[in-house]
Amino acid sequence: MDETAILARTRAYVTETFLYMRPDFALRDQDRLLERGVIDSMGVMELLVFLRNEFGVVVPDEDITETNLGTLSDIARYVSARNNGKGGAAPPRVPAP
Amino acid sequence: MCGIAGVARSEPRGVAPDMLDRMATALRHRGPDGAGRYADARVGLAHVRLSIIDVAGGAQPLGNEDGSVLIVYNGEVYNYVELQAELEAAGHRFRTRCDTEVLVHAYEQWGTAMLERLNGQFAFAIYDVRAGSVFLARDRFGVRPLCYSVVKGDLFFASEAKALFASGEVVAAPDPAGLDQVFTFWAARPPRTVFREVFALEPGCFAVWQHGVLRHGRYYELEYPEAGEESPDALMTLGELLEDSVTLRLRSDVPVGGYLSGGLDSSISCALAARGSPFSLRTFSVTFDDPRLDEGAFQQLVAGQLESCHHIQAIGSNAVVTAFPEVVRHAETPLVRTAPAPMYLLARLARQHDIKVVLTGEGADELFLGYDLFKETALRLFCLRQPQSTIRPRLFDRLYPYLDPTGRRGDFWRRSFLDAGSPDDPLFSHLPRFLLTRRIRDFYSRDLRAELRRDPLDELRESLPARFATWSPLNRAAYLEMTTLLSPYLLSAQGDRMSLAHGVEARYPFLDHRVFEFAAQLPTQSKLRGLKEKAILRRWARNLVPPAVQQRSKQPYRAPDVPAFFTPEPVDYVRDLLDEANLARTGLFEPAAVAGLVRRCRSGAALGFRESQALVAILSTELWYRQFFGED
Repeated sequence: MDETAILARTRAYVTETFLYMRPDFALRDQDRLLERGVIDSMGVMELLVFLRNEFGVVVPDEDITETNLGTLSDIARYVSARNNGKGGAAPPRVPAP
Repeated sequence: MCGIAGVARSEPRGVAPDMLDRMATALRHRGPDGAGRYADARVGLAHVRLSIIDVAGGAQPLGNEDGSVLIVYNGEVYNYVELQAELEAAGHRFRTRCDTEVLVHAYEQWGTAMLERLNGQFAFAIYDVRAGSVFLARDRFGVRPLCYSVVKGDLFFASEAKALFASGEVVAAPDPAGLDQVFTFWAARPPRTVFREVFALEPGCFAVWQHGVLRHGRYYELEYPEAGEESPDALMTLGELLEDSVTLRLRSDVPVGGYLSGGLDSSISCALAARGSPFSLRTFSVTFDDPRLDEGAFQQLVAGQLESCHHIQAIGSNAVVTAFPEVVRHAETPLVRTAPAPMYLLARLARQHDIKVVLTGEGADELFLGYDLFKETALRLFCLRQPQSTIRPRLFDRLYPYLDPTGRRGDFWRRSFLDAGSPDDPLFSHLPRFLLTRRIRDFYSRDLRAELRRDPLDELRESLPARFATWSPLNRAAYLEMTTLLSPYLLSAQGDRMSLAHGVEARYPFLDHRVFEFAAQLPTQSKLRGLKEKAILRRWARNLVPPAVQQRSKQPYRAPDVPAFFTPEPVDYVRDLLDEANLARTGLFEPAAVAGLVRRCRSGAALGFRESQALVAILSTELWYRQFFGED
């Protein structure tokens, strides 16, 4: 899956999960999710589950950073790199059964 | 413990006895042991009684010798024995041996200045017939409630708002600003309530009604005169104060029991009670099916050491769901947590075992910096002093261990604390909680938003006393915790209203004003040493409670929330209340947004704080609305 498709699916997920109660909220790809109150620290845990289930990407603790997951674009870039065996601190792992 | 109600007319038009009876009936749960009333052309007083001291002789309203001073009173003044001796020495003669009569004579002797002499938890109204005045007062920390409303020049007052509405002259209507405060602070801040034109007398305050005018005064302020060093005799003083506080709170003509959570504070109060009680102590605990919430093992440990007669209220998710509508009716406010529900069931259990009085540990966390919020504040300040450090923020990972069992937190977790506000903001300590709670606003309807004029955070900033700025950051945090959460929520919605729903009086040894004043002058490091909370209390309790309890970290009290209401389908009343048509009728929340929340709850995805509090808030608001304004 290319970065554009990852971005679109992540956007749909974030909108449906974290913004369903704020239909007028305009979320741009470069908006910082934490700073704009889209996602909170507990929400990040949910996002990690989504990335594992949707893209098979298990994010190691050291990769849970704003650089990797701070914006929709960051997430798409990170997931794409991981799926292509690049970037991140650890190679993709098999999802837990 | 009792319930009081009354009216003071600006003109002598009379007070109908049946109106007073309706008001008293609305409070019957607070005082099932008796009722009384008084009425003349201008003033009416009503009382329902829970007999605890001088069971045979304490009927109310109670007057002085010639009936020129009358009182209705809810609560206890623990130093009444000493006050009575002082008043007798001054020439007063007593007909009963109950604390109620002491207040009547204290008023005759000292007027409103009597309040400074009282050590207790109380709310009362004293009618001075000669002066034509009604004197309302409430204890220092707001343990006992007193609300009032002025309608067409007449004053109505009562322990609970439902008694005001039962008068037929006070009309119930929601107060949007009060609701917005609940959805920011967890409770409306006195004097505001969630009912329009109904006000709560503030803790440590009084009001005098005379000639149709209500004048307010304050007799007690929270002060934090922090010392530079702990005094050498601090431990001994703490022990003497706690022992005396418990001894005073064991004054009762009926057996006194203890709530035992398994934490340090309730273990201390139960241990001291067991030592000082003439009756064998009966202890009461809630246990939870969910092991993440349960403290049963610690409760058993303490109960075993005390050899108390221990009773357990087991709480499954269904218990919370079943009790929740009654919990909201008694609390008289929307809630953002289900935590009052187990307390409601615990009071019922105590009452079933013929216990009308219990000691509890509330207040210790506020006095001795027990909550994680205080550690969080200290850590945020520590990190902000060296913002480039990447090591310091890792300490945040040690906070709130119960929230994320996987421990996978990372940058986001740390940033959420660091970005939550500037140390220059007086609300610095509480902004993470306030900002998280007010995410409930995302679900507000357009109509509700349109009615809101002021930001509750700005109102709180403006209300802070001038001396607030001179206190240390952690004492500022303690003050905010005392005034925004302890008094209006923990002691009220989760305290007084839940225990008195079943005619059980809770007493709070840590909220003896002398204990508060002792704690307030301690240096911060005596309370929060590194990241170890309640340090001095632990040191003192070393030989009093089991080591495992003395050393354990604070476990916050929580109750089952979202999953309890969905199995996975919503239980009947939840489906009914969160139905689009009902929400549209009520008009407070956006039906489409709530539908999204329900969808998330059904799928089991709504597991975070944000959605969990939103569900409880919306559900309890709809229950509250139906109970107080509905047509059903």
